[in-house]
Amino acid sequence: MKYLVVGLGVLLVIVVLIFNFLVSKRNQMKNAFATVDALLKKRYDLIPNLVEAVKGYVKHEGSLLTEIARLRSEAMSGQKSGKEKEGIDSQMGNTLKSIMAVSENYPDLKASNNFIHLQKTLNEVEEQISAGRRAYNASVNDYNNAVMMFPANLLAGLFGFKAGDYFSITEKDRENVNVGEQLKK
Amino acid sequence: MKSVEELKKFYRETLYVSLLPLEKQRKKIVNVVTIAAVVIGVLVLGVVLFILGSRSGAGGANIIFILIPLIIGGIVFGIIYYFTAKGYKDQFKYGIIEKLVKFFDPSLIYGADSCIQSSEYMQSRIFPKQPDRYKGEDYIGGKLDKTAIEFSEIHSEYKTESTDSKGNRHTTWHTIFKGIFFIADFNKLFDGVTVVLPDTAERMFGFIGKMMQEWNFTRGKLIKLEDPEFEKEFAVYGDNQVTARYILSTSLMERIMEFKKKTGRPLHMSFVQSKVYIALSYDKNFFEPKIFNTLLDFNMVLEYYNDLSLFIGIVEDLNLNNRIWTKE
Repeated sequence: MKYLVVGLGVLLVIVVLIFNFLVSKRNQMKNAFATVDALLKKRYDLIPNLVEAVKGYVKHEGSLLTEIARLRSEAMSGQKSGKEKEGIDSQMGNTLKSIMAVSENYPDLKASNNFIHLQKTLNEVEEQISAGRRAYNASVNDYNNAVMMFPANLLAGLFGFKAGDYFSITEKDRENVNVGEQLKK
Repeated sequence: MKSVEELKKFYRETLYVSLLPLEKQRKKIVNVVTIAAVVIGVLVLGVVLFILGSRSGAGGANIIFILIPLIIGGIVFGIIYYFTAKGYKDQFKYGIIEKLVKFFDPSLIYGADSCIQSSEYMQSRIFPKQPDRYKGEDYIGGKLDKTAIEFSEIHSEYKTESTDSKGNRHTTWHTIFKGIFFIADFNKLFDGVTVVLPDTAERMFGFIGKMMQEWNFTRGKLIKLEDPEFEKEFAVYGDNQVTARYILSTSLMERIMEFKKKTGRPLHMSFVQSKVYIALSYDKNFFEPKIFNTLLDFNMVLEYYNDLSLFIGIVEDLNLNNRIWTKE
């Protein structure tokens, strides 16, 4: 009887430890996701300035500017699932790349200090977003390992810890930006 | 970066002329040192023979009487060598090494007796242990295009004291770091500390080693990066997961791997407050004259050039002049 109580006690402690371990890994993952969100917000904040700076010069590619403004308001409005957000953000990334590529055709714009500064800031934000995504993927990897490995996987199933999703690169992202096509729009 | 062809031209047109008087002096020193060696050798031998002869009747020679003149002779020779070679060493360093440094970039400055400040060394957080003895030489600093750099030889040590059974105290010196310590302005703005250390644990113990790394609390959080080759070579610690990845972009990781292969030496790095610190361990003492080798050999200059270009080349190897981010 005594051994049974001790055994159950030890088992309970192990269960609690594993549970807490899983929770901490999941929180880490959520925290990493929130960081990416914060970085994406930085990118949204840059867009109005960029549109303002480019508007006066870029005569023939107005549709790109409308597109980026639309994506921005879409991204900022309402609640969205992770996947939807990811889709919008990757489109936004591509459109921004196109705007930057198109701007190469306007020497006056390229030479303006304001634009150069914006370009640098944008590069920085993109680099940070990519770092944030890598950090998130690393924490998902950590969490998924915890959820799937024995013995934590037994508890994970019991308490409903589901494997997390990685940020993926969509097919569209993998292609290089096609400036010609963007110009036709 | 200057090519070997450019170096040959520089050697022919500029350096060779200034090497001639130095070579003359080197020959003089070799002569002085050789004569001193011969004279001291003969004197010591004479004294030893005299002692042996005078004591042969008194029950054999005591080894002490032979050792004393040998030791005195050795010390006198050492002193003569030191003082004749010292002046030459400075002339050599400012006559050749400084000219070579300026050949790479005229804006670079060279100080034979200066080194990276110990405060900078501690600032890097690469070696957290406070050294008890810190010295260095051959400082090179300046700005290459947009990137400010400085590096020097550094030798840092700590001491341990022990008392033996007779009550005598012994001080033992242990090396913390010996080699080239390099600091450059990094091309991205960031806060906090990220440290890249050689990964001995993972290489030796694999998966278990990786788990052990996670418990290295003195260094901050372990940052697991996605490049498996890089992970095998290095363990990265930092106070922020995102900042560490912002600094260590995939391309920078590749460049660090390439640089590591190029040097083949243990490589420690850290990124602190928008600066990169690199500690390359070496036993070799760099940029020293070799008294018994002629100066008028291009291969000698080539060797100093190769050493210098390895360190000055870090700016290109890590692409530090690429300023596409907000940092100017």
